[in-house]
Amino acid sequence: MSAVLVSSLTKIFNQGRTDEVVALSDVDLEIKSGEFVSLIGPSGCGKSTLLRLIADLIAPSTGTVTVAGKSADAARREQAYGIAFQQAGLFEWRTVLKNVELPLELRGLSKAERKAKASEMLELVGLAEFAGHYPAQLSGGMQQRVAIARALAVRPPLLLMDEPFGALDEMTRERLQSELLGICAQTGTSTVFVTHSISEAVFLSDRVVVMSARPGRITASIPVTLDSRDEAARQSPHYFECVTAVRQALRGTPLTSAS
Amino acid sequence: MKWARAVLPPVVVGIVAIVLWEVVVTAGRIAPFILPAPSAIWEQLVEQRQNVWEAALASGTNALIGLIGGAVAGVLAAMASSRFRPLAEVSLPFAAVLNALPIIALAPVLNNMFESTSSLPRRLVAGIIVFFPVFINTLRGLREVDPIHQELMHTYAASGWTFAVKVRLPGSLPHVFTGLRQASSLAVIAAVVAEYFGGLQNGLGSRITSAAAFTAYPRAWAFVVGACLLGLVFYLTTLLLERLAMPWRTRLIA
Repeated sequence: MSAVLVSSLTKIFNQGRTDEVVALSDVDLEIKSGEFVSLIGPSGCGKSTLLRLIADLIAPSTGTVTVAGKSADAARREQAYGIAFQQAGLFEWRTVLKNVELPLELRGLSKAERKAKASEMLELVGLAEFAGHYPAQLSGGMQQRVAIARALAVRPPLLLMDEPFGALDEMTRERLQSELLGICAQTGTSTVFVTHSISEAVFLSDRVVVMSARPGRITASIPVTLDSRDEAARQSPHYFECVTAVRQALRGTPLTSAS
Repeated sequence: MKWARAVLPPVVVGIVAIVLWEVVVTAGRIAPFILPAPSAIWEQLVEQRQNVWEAALASGTNALIGLIGGAVAGVLAAMASSRFRPLAEVSLPFAAVLNALPIIALAPVLNNMFESTSSLPRRLVAGIIVFFPVFINTLRGLREVDPIHQELMHTYAASGWTFAVKVRLPGSLPHVFTGLRQASSLAVIAAVVAEYFGGLQNGLGSRITSAAAFTAYPRAWAFVVGACLLGLVFYLTTLLLERLAMPWRTRLIA
């Protein structure tokens, strides 16, 4: 079963008004279970809109979104996905641990269970010793790691990420990329990752989906088959081939098959 | 060291001001009905300490009951208004009118509405004055919700009630306390000044007017000092509560 199935999806904002915008036009996308897919494209290409449609934060104009065999709405109600945004969006009045516990709390888990699972997630993102801190006491990168731990807390089969590393410096960014890959491999989570960065998309993904604007649509889907995902991978010829392929697809120049 | 640097300047300025005041009044032979010397006021304060204490206790009780009543009403009204938008649109102009009304002017009317032995009029005046700043600030706090928090709670399929309790209320606390800080001083002022217009005469307000009527100006000033201290106690207590209610703000790393 596919993790996400999007078929002939169209999203029009302000429909019927003079400021009508076609954000997405007739998009089809399938994400297999355990697959890591990046959405990349220029501003206004609808990549965030597509992610928000999968998350059921907005409703499609036409077409359907299926998450793990269920409608997007049903999947959201079951917390079938975890989500992280560009801003960490932590609750400043809750400690780090309590922030990670929140989705578990809303699922009605007992106090002990909550604490055990949240602690485990903090361990996973390497912030176990900061459990009692408040978000304001952490750096931006640490806050983002807490947000990722929170997204993973319910052990969702699907992880949705909207430029989660966009506001971080390059070094923190690369470290978190490696951490994320480790976590996804460990938990078997399928991931949809929205990004602006070509290198980030190629390094992280099994497949890079390239989108273009006005109207937002998918123009290319480039598979990436790196042997490993480490420093060596960032220097490998295949990595650079894929970066070039994505760049060409973004520019709209005719594409020769990348793989 | 840091503490001393924060406390020392205002203390030094205060002492210098009092010394200057004393010198100006004695050397300038200023009549006591214009301005008594600090030493005379202090003398009266020591002599009348039992009376000042009792009057401050009476006024303080009135202010506290008014403050609690007005604040609870303000927070509840703000919660209802933030939940039901039409209610906010109706209640905001009403609250503005209530605020524009010189509440102190209501005191004589309220005093006549109840028996002269009732403490209720002064408490009502304090409560009404407290209501507005608490209501407005709380409403602002309840409305200012981080869009990301809103979306997150939506992805958790949280109910409206859960959202209110877990996100809206804690998020509005800084605003609630901004309102309470303003309200705490206002409550004391209202409780003291309401006595100028009749009603039960056992608080600081009536002591100030009666001392002034007997041309005992240093004594009047001694009660004014009592009122000032009472206002400070209220303000500082509110600050302390704020710290206790929002520990995440005090543990900030600079």
